[in-house]
Amino acid sequence: MKEKHEKIGKIILWIVLAVVAVIQMFPLIWLVDFSLGSSNEMFTNGLLIIPKKIRWDNYVKAFVDGNFLHYLRNSVLINTLAVILVIFISIMAAFACQRMKWKLRGFVGTLLVIGMMIPIHATLLPNYKIYSNLHLTDTIWALLIPYVAFSMPQGMFLMTGFIQSLPKELEEAAVMDGCGIYRIVFQIVTPLLKPSIATVAIMTFLNNWNEFMMASTYLSTPTWKTLPFSVLEFTGEYSSNYAVQFAVMALTAAPAVIVYVILNKHITKGVAMGAVKG
Amino acid sequence: MKKLYSNKPVIFSLILPGVLVFLFAVLAPICLSVYYGFTDYTGMGEAHLVGFENYIKLFGDHAFGRSLRNSLLLAIGFICIQHPLAIIVAAVLDKLQGKAEGIFRCIYFIPNVISVAVIAYLWKFIYNPDFGLLNNVLKAFGHPGQVNWLSQQNAIWSVLIVLIWHGFGWGMLIYYTGIKNIDPVLYEAASIDGAGWWTTFFRITLPLMKPVIQINVTMAVISALKQMETVYLLTNGGPNNSTQFAANYLYQQAFKAFQYGYGNAIGVVFILICILATVALNRIFKEKQEA
Amino acid sequence: MKKKVIATLLTVAMTASMLAGCGSEKGSIQDSGNAQNQPAEEESAAASADDADEAGEVTIKLFSNLPDRKNGQGLVEQTIIDEYMAANANVTIEVEALDEEAYKTKFKAYAMDGMPDVVSIWGQPSFLDEVLDAGVLAELNEEDYADYGFIAGSLDGFKKNGKLYGLPRNTDIMLFYYNQKMFEDNGWEVPASYEDLMTLCADIKAAGFTPVAMDGGDGWPMACFLTDILVQVAGINYADIVSNAVATGDFSAPEIKQATQILVNSADAGMFQIGYDSQDYGTTMNLFTNGQAAMYCMGSWDCSMALNEDIAPEIRENIRAFTMPVVEGGKGGANDIAAWNGGGYAVSADSKVRDEAVKFLNYMYQPDKLSKYGWENGVGLSAQDQTPYLTGSETELQKQVMEILRNASSISGTPINDCGPSAFKTAVETEIQGVSNGSTSVEDFLAAIGAACK
Repeated sequence: MKEKHEKIGKIILWIVLAVVAVIQMFPLIWLVDFSLGSSNEMFTNGLLIIPKKIRWDNYVKAFVDGNFLHYLRNSVLINTLAVILVIFISIMAAFACQRMKWKLRGFVGTLLVIGMMIPIHATLLPNYKIYSNLHLTDTIWALLIPYVAFSMPQGMFLMTGFIQSLPKELEEAAVMDGCGIYRIVFQIVTPLLKPSIATVAIMTFLNNWNEFMMASTYLSTPTWKTLPFSVLEFTGEYSSNYAVQFAVMALTAAPAVIVYVILNKHITKGVAMGAVKG
Repeated sequence: MKKLYSNKPVIFSLILPGVLVFLFAVLAPICLSVYYGFTDYTGMGEAHLVGFENYIKLFGDHAFGRSLRNSLLLAIGFICIQHPLAIIVAAVLDKLQGKAEGIFRCIYFIPNVISVAVIAYLWKFIYNPDFGLLNNVLKAFGHPGQVNWLSQQNAIWSVLIVLIWHGFGWGMLIYYTGIKNIDPVLYEAASIDGAGWWTTFFRITLPLMKPVIQINVTMAVISALKQMETVYLLTNGGPNNSTQFAANYLYQQAFKAFQYGYGNAIGVVFILICILATVALNRIFKEKQEA
Repeated sequence: MKKKVIATLLTVAMTASMLAGCGSEKGSIQDSGNAQNQPAEEESAAASADDADEAGEVTIKLFSNLPDRKNGQGLVEQTIIDEYMAANANVTIEVEALDEEAYKTKFKAYAMDGMPDVVSIWGQPSFLDEVLDAGVLAELNEEDYADYGFIAGSLDGFKKNGKLYGLPRNTDIMLFYYNQKMFEDNGWEVPASYEDLMTLCADIKAAGFTPVAMDGGDGWPMACFLTDILVQVAGINYADIVSNAVATGDFSAPEIKQATQILVNSADAGMFQIGYDSQDYGTTMNLFTNGQAAMYCMGSWDCSMALNEDIAPEIRENIRAFTMPVVEGGKGGANDIAAWNGGGYAVSADSKVRDEAVKFLNYMYQPDKLSKYGWENGVGLSAQDQTPYLTGSETELQKQVMEILRNASSISGTPINDCGPSAFKTAVETEIQGVSNGSTSVEDFLAAIGAACK
């Protein structure tokens, strides 16, 4: 009797999980499926199609006219720089506010973390004005500065927590050995923070990789445009060809999905750690 | 040690980059916003100070009221639909052992790593009344499948569905981690007492997840307030402002309607609301904990 | 902790107000400085243009509202650019192209500080008034264009106090495109009155097609549609009625009310596709070009559909057009049409290569460029005399549209949404969605757009 119950329970459990998985994945499968057909094949009543002829040329068009490689390179470059800067700045500031002894440390620490509450889009208008006055629009700085600024509070918050939980003895020993503060921060503390650095890096990457509002406001030429622009620009150009639009969407989504699937375990761990603490 | 740790120049050099970034990219734009919020600046030409005129106008602006109401709806939707689903799925997933567990977790999270630009356009197609996926699904079940998903009445719910779908993996993952952190001894004890799955879920899992739920609820409210990207591409606030959100509205007012000053006034109020909401939620949860 | 947060917030607020004080001073000095320095800046701009000439290499930035560079108007623009660069080896023209909505948004962002050199503009109050007030466009010498063959009156929208700031690209006519083959197969006929149109739509709907594909997601095409109805209701009084309403903020004129009511009734009767009020330009057009809609309501610039290779030949060769049929009891006749000279180009006032930019502008407007290529690519009617370029091999659609313009007894001028300030335009384009789908009453709609004029 009990065994039977357990079996039914297992089946229900699997059904629930499978249904959720289908809901999460089906739109994406639909996307890829139709991206391989021709535009006319969209107008069917079926859920999926078997393309009459697999149209890889949709992807060729998407790759070339979507400026894919160039935008991908920009995205990777800008995000990597942002991640590095966020990590450095937040480790330094978190160490100073957590370990060092000075009057305003609590105040400055809170101030830097308070940025988390500020809605990023409220700064679109004034930042546009500032950047254009300083001739920063359409440069890499126009993206790098806000990306760093709005990921820093979170990085700072997480780092403060992690540094707090580090034992002080190591640092004390280092001081005995005659280490300076900079060496303590970068050679003793930073290596100990490895898992937290990974967390901050992943969170920052996820935050900024898909950002396009600021990019489309502050940038005008393709020089520094990021991956979302493949989609944003393409749909206007190919408004009459749905299949090619689908191809460009699938292509744009691909890098992040592939990287995620490969690094799945690490990313999951990083996000979980960051999110639960944050 | 003490001397080393209170060396002013060193401290200064460590915090300088962070403070600079904060001043330049967060504080300065907010100050500029406050200033322009008091002007009739159109975005070009000269700005004139007009006192509180923009704020008075904002008070009677239906579209702004609508965007706050939409944020509230969204937050309720997150809390009442997304989160319960996420907790249940997380609890179910926790029962599963081995490889399948990882695979499901991976699948659930995938939409999260895809750009909002792709998500919004994809859902535009899914909602298309003529050849969209949703109406085709309805047709497969014998429904006429002529639903107008983005009509004035439906649009806000359709937006909510997209956001729930997109953010589901994230919420699930956090709850999942929370559940994993629960001491297994408690479950063993419950099982010895003969408690079933539901009893265990309600008596042990949920109460112990309280802090995680509180964090997630706070995040849900904040992200409902901050919503912009999905709406910007999916409906741009339409039809007739029915899916308007504060961030999108201030953007439209400043760059479309030539009311840069007014847009900034909206921005200032928007920031205040976000800060107040965060502080209020923290306070509510803190009091509850104490009680 | 709580205290700390509050203290921090207070400090932030205080610093904010202090900085704001400084900011305001700086801002106003800067702005007035800008106004005074205008002539000086112009000189330096001219000077730097000379420098550029000497140096040889010139880069002109063109900001365009035509993202599709392979079809229609975008192709025409790109062709001219390529020709110009080929003819002037030292000139590079960089194009940034966005679709109309995004373009206008970005244009305003650019207008704050530093525009590209050559820009697309619209010769309509909603767009141009604030732009000209801010002085971001360079004045052009009207006499230069005496023999460019501009149609009489077409430059008016681009002038302020008698000075010319831009040149019109097209003559736009509001049209119903229809699928002739579909009409013939089903025995449908081009309607002679609005009542006929309603009956026709009911027949088309009964046959399982969408009667009229309408881009309601953007708002402006529906406002043009309303303009079209209003022209039929009010006849030649259209412009007076609208400008009066905009000036007083009172839109309760019976003609406007009637026209709006007709729009509401039509939408209610299912004239447009399901979800028209949330669908964008491309999706709407595809409904028609894929044969799911029998008609498509849009301006004459989409005449290039007839030559678009992406559209199946059995559809593209069968596209024809008619204008808004007469409304019973209305003052407009069949030949009173909704048409205007809207889109065009201008040169930025603070362009560093202004002389070169003007040179390029004039090159584009040589009668055998924009006008001729536009005609050959079937993009509709330019604002210049096109009769020398008739080849005899025009598409049927082109001939029809030309005929419509030739037979016109009156031309409406600026569509209603573009007759007021841009806050008014935004209000019309948002509210019209609500009134057409029945969630706002006609009275509330008229009151709301009236309020936006003040």
